[in-house]
Amino acid sequence: MSSEAHEPHGADDHGHGHGHGSRFIQHHYDDAKHQFDSGKLGIWLFLAQEVLFFSALFVAYVLYRNHHPEIYSYAHKWLQVKFGAINTAVLIFSSLTAAWAVRAAQLAQPKRLILCLATTIACALTFLGIKYIEYSHKYHEQILFGRYFDPCVSPGGVELLTRSNECAGTKTTVDFDEKGGTVKSGCFAEADLDRDRDKPGVQAECKVDEVHLEFYTPPTFKTSTNHDCTKVPIANFVGNNGTYTLTGLCESIIVKGDKNTVTIASVKHLQVQGSDNHVAVKAADLVEAGPVPPKEGEKPAPSTPNTITVDKAVSVDKPKIGATDSEVNADEAEHPREVNRVAIPNQCPEENPFEEHKVEPKKPCWRVAYQPQVCKADKVGPKYGIIVEYDDTSERGREIAIAADCKKPDKAPDPGDVLADKEQRLVLGQKLIAPTRELTTEQEHELEAAGPPPEHTNMFFSIYFAMTGLHGIHVLFGVGVFTWLLIRAIKGHFTPDYFGPVDYAALYWHIVDLIWIFLFPLLYLIH
Amino acid sequence: MLLAVSGVFLLGFSSIFTGLNFLTTIHKFRPQGMGWFQLPLNVWAIYATAIMQVLATPVLGITVLLLAVERFAHIGIFDPTLGGDPVLFQHFFWFYSHPAVYIMIIPGMGVVSELVTTFARKPIFGYRFIAYSSVSLALLSFLVWGHHMFVSGQSRLANMVFSALTFTVGIPSAIKVFNWVATLYKGDIRLKTPMLYALSFLLLFTIGGLTGLFLGILAVDVHLHDTYFVVAHFHYVMMGSTLVAFLGALHYWWPKFTGKMFNESIGRVCATGVFFGFNMTFLPQFVMGARGMPRRYWDYDPQYTIFHQLSTIGAFVLGISMFVTVVSLVASLWTGKRAPRNPWGGSSLEWQAPTPPPLYNFEKPPVLHELYNYDDLVEVEEDVWERQTPGTDEPVAKSPAHAETVVATPPTVPPTLQPTDVKKTATAADPADAKAPDDKKPEKP
Amino acid sequence: MASTEHHDDHDENQLGHVASIKVLVGTGGTLLVLTLVTVLATRIDFGANINLGIAMAIAVLKATLVILFFMHLKYDKLFHAVVFVSAILAASLFVGFTLMDTSQYDQTNIWNPDKPPAAPIGPRATQ
Repeated sequence: MSSEAHEPHGADDHGHGHGHGSRFIQHHYDDAKHQFDSGKLGIWLFLAQEVLFFSALFVAYVLYRNHHPEIYSYAHKWLQVKFGAINTAVLIFSSLTAAWAVRAAQLAQPKRLILCLATTIACALTFLGIKYIEYSHKYHEQILFGRYFDPCVSPGGVELLTRSNECAGTKTTVDFDEKGGTVKSGCFAEADLDRDRDKPGVQAECKVDEVHLEFYTPPTFKTSTNHDCTKVPIANFVGNNGTYTLTGLCESIIVKGDKNTVTIASVKHLQVQGSDNHVAVKAADLVEAGPVPPKEGEKPAPSTPNTITVDKAVSVDKPKIGATDSEVNADEAEHPREVNRVAIPNQCPEENPFEEHKVEPKKPCWRVAYQPQVCKADKVGPKYGIIVEYDDTSERGREIAIAADCKKPDKAPDPGDVLADKEQRLVLGQKLIAPTRELTTEQEHELEAAGPPPEHTNMFFSIYFAMTGLHGIHVLFGVGVFTWLLIRAIKGHFTPDYFGPVDYAALYWHIVDLIWIFLFPLLYLIH
Repeated sequence: MLLAVSGVFLLGFSSIFTGLNFLTTIHKFRPQGMGWFQLPLNVWAIYATAIMQVLATPVLGITVLLLAVERFAHIGIFDPTLGGDPVLFQHFFWFYSHPAVYIMIIPGMGVVSELVTTFARKPIFGYRFIAYSSVSLALLSFLVWGHHMFVSGQSRLANMVFSALTFTVGIPSAIKVFNWVATLYKGDIRLKTPMLYALSFLLLFTIGGLTGLFLGILAVDVHLHDTYFVVAHFHYVMMGSTLVAFLGALHYWWPKFTGKMFNESIGRVCATGVFFGFNMTFLPQFVMGARGMPRRYWDYDPQYTIFHQLSTIGAFVLGISMFVTVVSLVASLWTGKRAPRNPWGGSSLEWQAPTPPPLYNFEKPPVLHELYNYDDLVEVEEDVWERQTPGTDEPVAKSPAHAETVVATPPTVPPTLQPTDVKKTATAADPADAKAPDDKKPEKP
Repeated sequence: MASTEHHDDHDENQLGHVASIKVLVGTGGTLLVLTLVTVLATRIDFGANINLGIAMAIAVLKATLVILFFMHLKYDKLFHAVVFVSAILAASLFVGFTLMDTSQYDQTNIWNPDKPPAAPIGPRATQ
């Protein structure tokens, strides 16, 4: 009897093994049934621990969904339901073939067994292939997890920059086009600036299409002229015996010379330097007039005082007619937005406003400038950045964005480099990443209506990748196990009294399928 | 950090598979005639432990996996700046780690059950209660993990719920202690080395378990959390109980698996040394913890000095005792007396195996006797015990089908689908094995 | 011989229950149909919670079919069912207690030192 045990069984396709059992029945078991039952209990215990292994991720899912449902209802739109559904069907079918493989082994149908095992492996590989497609799509559209999810850059290739969205994204630098003198694109993440978004030129978070740029190079008029302040609200008038008529809302007007006749509709700050000028102003905030200050060491020359008339009925504020002070009175009013700003040294050449501008500044210059702390000015040098000027009404009366020096990042990350821990540079009007699918108009509108991502949308994707990733790893293990089974089946190891490995692997495979049955609606079918 | 995490992960899975193995073995490899309530209590304890290993350890696995992914890929699940929750990590960690401490203590309790009954020569008092309490302890241990998180930001409601549940988890342990003490009552107590360890266990586990309850009281824990009180508590249950039970088990089964007897006098002296050293080390820590000495501090206020000094002296006593124990045990491998089959008079099956046991443990089918029945075990000479009831091939209950297939002949006969013929298995008599009726058998008392 | 079709499904020597092709294919087909139903059900808006409830109910139904028929639990020892159910119970304990705890938290505000929330949580409004 003992000699039979050592007979190696070839690849027989015997059905019920009468007379000799499989050589895979181990000697410490009573019989084949004992081995099978023990193994069955063992695999059920293993499946129990698999359930617990996944349970922590389900806990995380439930908690985040319970506390931040808005994240889930927003973010799931970027998962592709059709791929998820195909994967579900593929796995269900592979479960069927796995169960059938067990049946084939039990009934000594070796060819059918091999076919079923091979089909199961093929389905598993299909699942993994579709998963790869989904993951690579996400990578291309920069829909990543955790730290690498940046809603400013964000999902679907949708340009969040052209919309009036606020997004709590990472900081970016702003790209400034030197040639055109325009701001190309950019985003700030300054939470504490007292922004007034209704005013033009205000740089808000992620909002760059309304930046207004102006340089302090006021035009100078020498002859009589009519000037419309609407387009150019700052102007200098130099000369004698001129007649100047200014219409529109002017901001800062300087008149230098003698015996000029100036008619101004409305001005915020008027300086008249000279003598015997006749200035008629309908409304003004501040008017200063006086003779040309004498040069150093000289005595003041006699002059005829200027005649300034301000129509009180129109002006709301009492106009101040100040002393003959040649200095420019900067607006001393408190700048509420000076928090977090760094002053930039004056870049304009030494300027006496009552002298002729002999030298045109070669580059834009400014009198008073502030820079938000997004980029700190290191030195005067090549421009790389943008400054936003708020409320400096004394000089220009409006928000201005001026190019200034910013510290250039060490290396500009490539647009597609999602893992670059650098500030990302974005280009207005240009899709950062070409989306792998074109959005239909309806989808565009849906995305626009959805608005910006809620805070911490990255958590959804973290949980999504963790759950599907862990599940995918289990599918991969399943492929390995089933391949090993396939090899053994081809060698004819499995007989009706020894098919335990097929049964146990099929049970493992069913658990993998079970987990996916829950993952699919929980992740993909969120309403 | 990746190395540490991988190590924990691997260890966790080895623990899971161990539990899986023990559960399957206990279900499928009991001899016929050994029903569930004929199992030695040690086996019940292993069963309870295995339940916890299988159900709790995978959560540790996924937790350390998430920790590694968090650290290297910044998924943000535990990082508040990315939207995660660090308290979530604590929930994950303690869901495993509380059952884990029961995984550590319950096998020790199983050993103590064996030691107490053998060295009192009495059946264990309340067998079913101890068996049920082992399993219920395993199940209840899953409900109390939040008591490690009372001061970490857990909500008030959860705090109260976990505190209340923690009171219930002390009940099964208390049941066991009462049963062990009741076993000792009116027993024929022999103070051999393993018994000294078992008695130490009884006292030290009582202290450790009670102080655990103190810590489970929510209001008290707020004061005692992260103090030396906690340190003292868990040393009492981990070292004073688990390690002492382990030492008792080591001494108890040393003769069986090495075949040598260790030096009993040294063993007793060291057991006493361990007891006193341990108490001197950790009892002062309760006091200073309650007086405010925090844990994990390298320096302390002068008011705690005396306690630290006592603790240090105790630690040296403890250390020296344990060192001498180990040396004595290792030395016995060379110089120890050859151990008989049953030096302690134990009633469980392992004492029927030869010493040391051969492959597959038994060379002839062991005889199932009534559990914990010492009536027919007689000490024929010092430290040699034998059963009076003659051993036959037909045991008290049905024949153990499992044991039959394990024979001294080369185990090449695979079982077939046909039922094996009981009578035909050859039993090669071991010449060293003394037959049951012996000329040295004394009169039955 | 190669695969014999005239085998006896209920041979005493069979280890474990043999599933019939009808049961297997029927279960598989039902699962596929239920998947379709799940996907279609999300198109109709019953309200976020009810949609979730429907999806979960269908998922539980599918899971039950897989467990009972593909995994043979219906024909298997009861203890295997005990093992599996206890794992599910442990997992639900985990979810339930943790949810109970976190549901009691106040809304989490990530602390921004430049813009601390107003009193009473933040610094005093009046100094």
